Amino acid sequence: MKFIVSSSYLQKHLQLLGGVINNNNTLPILDNFLLELTGSELKVSASDMETTIVSKLEVESEDDGSIALPAKLLLDTLKTFPEQPLTFHAVGTMITVSHDKGKSEIACAAAEEFPKAVTISEPSSTTIMGDTLATAVNKTIFAAGNDDLRPVMSGVFFQFTSDSLTFVATDAHKLVRYKREDIAASETAEFIMPKKPLNLLKAMLQGSESEVLVEYNDSNAQFSFDGTTIICRLIDGKYPNYEAVIPKENPNKLTISRTQLLNSVRRVSIFSNKTTHQIRLKMAGAELNISAEDLDYSNKADERLTCDYQGDDMQIGFNSRFLIEMLNNLTCDDVSLEMSLPNRAGILTPVDGLDEGENVTMLVMPVMLNQ
Amino acid sequence: MSDKQIMHLDLDTFYVSVERKMDSRLENRPLLVGGTSDRGVVAACSYETRGYGVHSGMSMKLARQLCPEAVVIRGNAGTYSKHSDEVTEIIKQETPLFEKSSIDEFYADLSGMDRFYGCYKLATELRKKVIKETGLPISFGLSTNKVVSKIATGEAKPNNQLMINHGEEKGFMAPLSVKKIPQVGDKTYQTLRHLGVKRIHTIQEMPEEMLTNVLGKNGSMIWRRAQGLDNRPVVAFNERKSISTERTFDRDTIDVKKLNSILIAMTENLAFQLRRGDKLTGCINVKIKYSDFNTYTKQMRIPYCSADHILIPHILELFEKLYNRRLLIRLIGIRFSHIVNGHYQINLFDDNETAINLYTALDKIREKYGDRTVMRAAGMEAKTIGRMLNPFNGLPPVVLAHRKQ
Repeated sequence: MKFIVSSSYLQKHLQLLGGVINNNNTLPILDNFLLELTGSELKVSASDMETTIVSKLEVESEDDGSIALPAKLLLDTLKTFPEQPLTFHAVGTMITVSHDKGKSEIACAAAEEFPKAVTISEPSSTTIMGDTLATAVNKTIFAAGNDDLRPVMSGVFFQFTSDSLTFVATDAHKLVRYKREDIAASETAEFIMPKKPLNLLKAMLQGSESEVLVEYNDSNAQFSFDGTTIICRLIDGKYPNYEAVIPKENPNKLTISRTQLLNSVRRVSIFSNKTTHQIRLKMAGAELNISAEDLDYSNKADERLTCDYQGDDMQIGFNSRFLIEMLNNLTCDDVSLEMSLPNRAGILTPVDGLDEGENVTMLVMPVMLNQ
Repeated sequence: MSDKQIMHLDLDTFYVSVERKMDSRLENRPLLVGGTSDRGVVAACSYETRGYGVHSGMSMKLARQLCPEAVVIRGNAGTYSKHSDEVTEIIKQETPLFEKSSIDEFYADLSGMDRFYGCYKLATELRKKVIKETGLPISFGLSTNKVVSKIATGEAKPNNQLMINHGEEKGFMAPLSVKKIPQVGDKTYQTLRHLGVKRIHTIQEMPEEMLTNVLGKNGSMIWRRAQGLDNRPVVAFNERKSISTERTFDRDTIDVKKLNSILIAMTENLAFQLRRGDKLTGCINVKIKYSDFNTYTKQMRIPYCSADHILIPHILELFEKLYNRRLLIRLIGIRFSHIVNGHYQINLFDDNETAINLYTALDKIREKYGDRTVMRAAGMEAKTIGRMLNPFNGLPPVVLAHRKQ
């Protein structure tokens, strides 16, 4: 098996694939890229058993063959090359990489050892614009949890219906729902995507204009675009009924400049307790008061902002981390925070800057303040 | 640092003195205060009983055998706190900065007072005032730091005072037994005796490394203390790092239902204390002492929390994991540590508003009418979970007089 390929072209593709590979694998074969050559098409796969990603590369070759090549070694070498053609020549399980300064030999593993990627049987499918998917992931993924005990919350919930696509992430303290009413799926479907493949998708699809074909069944999902395919196992389980926890009646509504609020919350939160990061918002008239206190060191801060507030005077406590994450993720000029009671969720929504058919709802659960 | 003047005050045989103050018939009679059941422990004993070999911490059964003529009193923590508060009040009036380190012990920082008054004179008058106004005997030690003052108080007792001048600390401590150093308990004392160390003088002559090799981290501290060095400041407010409660049974038990019920009651009570102090716990701990006196503990980290319905299942789960010896249990206890200031973060899915409102209402009732007025039915069987005053007021915990072994 022999092929010639441009070093930077190969590096660009392998770099992204390398993101799948875990640092310490239980199966040593997973430390490798699987190379499969059919004429001038080179198929490179990387896998961690949960997620497999396959990219098709154009190379100069007339051979066929396959081999598993140590990923880290290859990536490290590729990084050092200036742009030039590289010749790969495999004999048995040894591969020789020749370049203009010399050559290196890499001991490889047999391609047969590499686990086969799953094929999705009887898939349903839909197509989304690459950039739209990347945005949806970007808007939601930060809110997903890390709790191993509640695996369903460690992913993003995809909800496809015939009139909209909805993406939801929550860690039980904050929740984000991103809805696209301008796109629809052929069939209704729901599944929970793990974070890792989503992060890869996000990185690959940012700003991409190409169509992504999404195919899925009960246990797996596959995303195909531009010669790349990501296949992953879905998170098994029932996603919590998030619609039920979004409060319907929210008589108290605060509208304020996003950057102003973000900056104040950031500044005040420095003075909050280092473990709990709790701050207090007090709304009265057209004034928002943000305060925090770290009793351990007797540090405290409070700030006053003018805002547009309609509703009863109230105070509510939040974890400032959540607020900062959410405000940071938004891109609008003004945000609105709707509340009902100090022990019910606050709903953060952008006031402007949304595309047609785009809908973002962020929920943040307060902390129980003593009144 | 050398111009510091630290005073250590200690109420002599505090519980005994309080009992005698209330009932003068007990004067000059051997007296034991502590648990009266078979499992009771001596919390305090009068000087008369010490001749018989009685000391505090000893089992009441043994103490009675050693000194059969002693009067045994069960004691009442509430009364003791009240008397202790009286003393605190006087010390508060007379000193610029003081620390209450336990129910009967105080440190006061008198640095700078000699400019106006003379520290020793002030200390002497303070002692006289306490004796006069409360009728309780008190001793003090005065020197340049906490450790030397405390040892000096120990030497001054009973009902006396002692000043160690700057520069004389080492000489004062040299002839004393190493046991007098705070932090040197039975175990460390044994280790030191095996090394042939008996007097503090020997430690003073040893290189620091030698002691660190034998005793580890503590060795360095003990060595420094033996030199009469101690930089700890007098702190007026001591933040509690953990809260705990435990229960020794009069008769060992294996009744898991009863044990669970006690654990629930304990958790409910401690969780209320957390909420009352605006605290959250990040680490919970369950302790079991079996009938063979082997003690086991198990702890787990949890997300910061102060809610019953999260803590109770965790505690019961820990207990289930820990209780695996099929042996009778003598004691169970729970402890919350990693305490931080904060409020409970409400969960979107696990909490509902009714539950949250219920907690708020229950807490209000407890705040107003006492912490055992409302409770879970599951925890009602457990009758005597120690009632607690707010544990986060910066004061040392009130040790119950009848601690059991």
